[in-house]
Amino acid sequence: MERGKIRRLLVLGLLMAVSVFVAFAAGPVKTYKFGVMAPITGTNAEYGKGFQIATKMAVDEINAKGEIKIELVVKDSKGDPKESADIARQFGDDASIMAIVGDFTSSSCMAAAPIVDEAGIVLLSPTASNPNYASMSKFAFSVMGRQDGEAPFFSTYLLKKYAGAKDIGVIWVNSDWGKSSHDNLVAQAKKDGLNVVSDVNYIADEKDFSASIAKLRRGKPDHIVILDQGAVPTIINQIAQAGWNDVKITTLGPGTSQQIISLCGKNAEGLLLTTPFFFDENSKSDMAWYNTFYKAAGFYPTVHPACAYDCVYLLEAAIKNSGDKVTRESIRSNLQNYKGFSGLTGPIVFNPDGDIFRKYLIVAVENGKFVKKTNFDFAK
Amino acid sequence: MDYYLSQVINGICQGSIYALMAIGYSVVVGVVGLVTFTHGEVIMLGAFAAYFAFQFFGNNLILGIIASFSASAFIGIFVYKICYERFFDAPRHISLLLTIGVSMLLKNLTQILIGPNNMPLLGVVPNKFFGIGLVGVTLVQIIVIVTVISLSLLLFLLFNKTRWGIMLRAVSQDKKAAALMGINVKVTSMLGNCIGSGLGGIAGMLLAIYYQTLIATMGGSAGIKAFSASVLGGLTDIPSAALGGLSLGIIENLGITFASASFRDIFAFIFLLLVLLIKPEGFARKRGVRP
Repeated sequence: MERGKIRRLLVLGLLMAVSVFVAFAAGPVKTYKFGVMAPITGTNAEYGKGFQIATKMAVDEINAKGEIKIELVVKDSKGDPKESADIARQFGDDASIMAIVGDFTSSSCMAAAPIVDEAGIVLLSPTASNPNYASMSKFAFSVMGRQDGEAPFFSTYLLKKYAGAKDIGVIWVNSDWGKSSHDNLVAQAKKDGLNVVSDVNYIADEKDFSASIAKLRRGKPDHIVILDQGAVPTIINQIAQAGWNDVKITTLGPGTSQQIISLCGKNAEGLLLTTPFFFDENSKSDMAWYNTFYKAAGFYPTVHPACAYDCVYLLEAAIKNSGDKVTRESIRSNLQNYKGFSGLTGPIVFNPDGDIFRKYLIVAVENGKFVKKTNFDFAK
Repeated sequence: MDYYLSQVINGICQGSIYALMAIGYSVVVGVVGLVTFTHGEVIMLGAFAAYFAFQFFGNNLILGIIASFSASAFIGIFVYKICYERFFDAPRHISLLLTIGVSMLLKNLTQILIGPNNMPLLGVVPNKFFGIGLVGVTLVQIIVIVTVISLSLLLFLLFNKTRWGIMLRAVSQDKKAAALMGINVKVTSMLGNCIGSGLGGIAGMLLAIYYQTLIATMGGSAGIKAFSASVLGGLTDIPSAALGGLSLGIIENLGITFASASFRDIFAFIFLLLVLLIKPEGFARKRGVRP
């Protein structure tokens, strides 16, 4: 063998030995597992898929930094509280799972809350907004905001001040979330001097709204309020199909869901809704995230996956603040007490119950797009 | 009064779709002689077949009917071969369990291949409303009712005026006697299953047009409604199954009128229970009509 070749081999060997030494001296990167519980199938599949993609985006970014490593275990709750309870049990019994991100609906989260309380594992929901959810367990958290905040805002600011509504018809999904939203909305509407002239409800996964729409129409409201997520496009289309064209439609719940545009087409023109977060076209970081999500998902994001993304970063912060000994309890404690977190959807500081209060925006559908409305004195 | 009339019209429209689903179900159970749990997924696949036909060839209703009938009839062949053909002489629960398995397979396969999200079905029938104030009927409702009536008449002609219809009725009454008369029972049973499935497929298309949306998981509730309406009709009596479907739709809508849509299924199943308690054979004319 030539001398030059031997020398090169020796140098290479030396370099490899040094690398291994440095790696071991620095210590291996610790891996932490999170469970993700979301409705990947069913009526709310758009939101569940959004959770799945947004949490993966956050995990990829965190893992790329190389400080800690996170693995996700994703399970489909199908939007069924019974499934959510079962999945929570599975995650709780698996000692390698340090925390759970999910579920989507308040009903599913409330079904899982006693189970995570018993298992002593954090259930951090991106979207549960029933005010009674987080107080069910010290391990139950939510970052969406509460319906005793959003529903009154909807009544006072969107319906009364912005839209000038007088008589409203309310159609709502009869679930934990729907009932909470309805009760808070109607209570505030009465204070605001709005007349609730018709009030109908239905159970989740309902498809035929013709009878409910006829019942709504009987009260002759000038505005309809739809309280739901996945069924909103179907209701809007069936209102149009029933030939009811002289009523204004508003909705609380779906956020700026792309399905509203794609499923409703021109039936959605003029729709008004509230959301706690809207992607700012003038913000490079917002639009970068927005476009990255779109490439991964094939549809544009709403506030819901954005919250799921923030949830992963919140848990990362809780793990880092736990120091050397990271346990389920240390994650819970650091999550509860963490101040100064500001994520994609804005600042997040948990109140003693484990949820947060948000501010809200009014958004309209104009020419097939969601447009933030700012041309009124209470916009800020 | 206007309001109640409009709810009755809604009920007749919804009931017509249930009637068509129940007719298809009764044809399957009557001719094959075995209960099925795949009918919901057959309905769902018919809806998707029509959806893709509209996507590729435009909003042609006749084409949608042909596509949904053909696709569901084809699935009917698959279901027949897997769940029924070898099990006529086996305990009934074997084919029942197989139909449950095939139902899960079809639903999950559809979710994987097509996706789990709601898909829009807009503009197939223009949004037109004929009436004054609350009372009236939409063009969609007229088309649904006319389609169901037409198909029912066609089925009546098939069963009563054609040789194939006589064979189907013979097989549904007594398979052994039919075989002795020279009828190919297996082929006839398969044909009956395909016709029943095809009618379910058209019902799926009508559901999707009426709701303006379709989703891979829509078969579950549709299948239960088809089964319930068919039970009201005595399970194998086709005219009674149609009556069962119609009355189920009207009862549901009147229930919503006086209570709320959250009670839809409660009203439907209380009605079913009451009818069966008073008249165990349902609306069927003969007691003890067995599949």
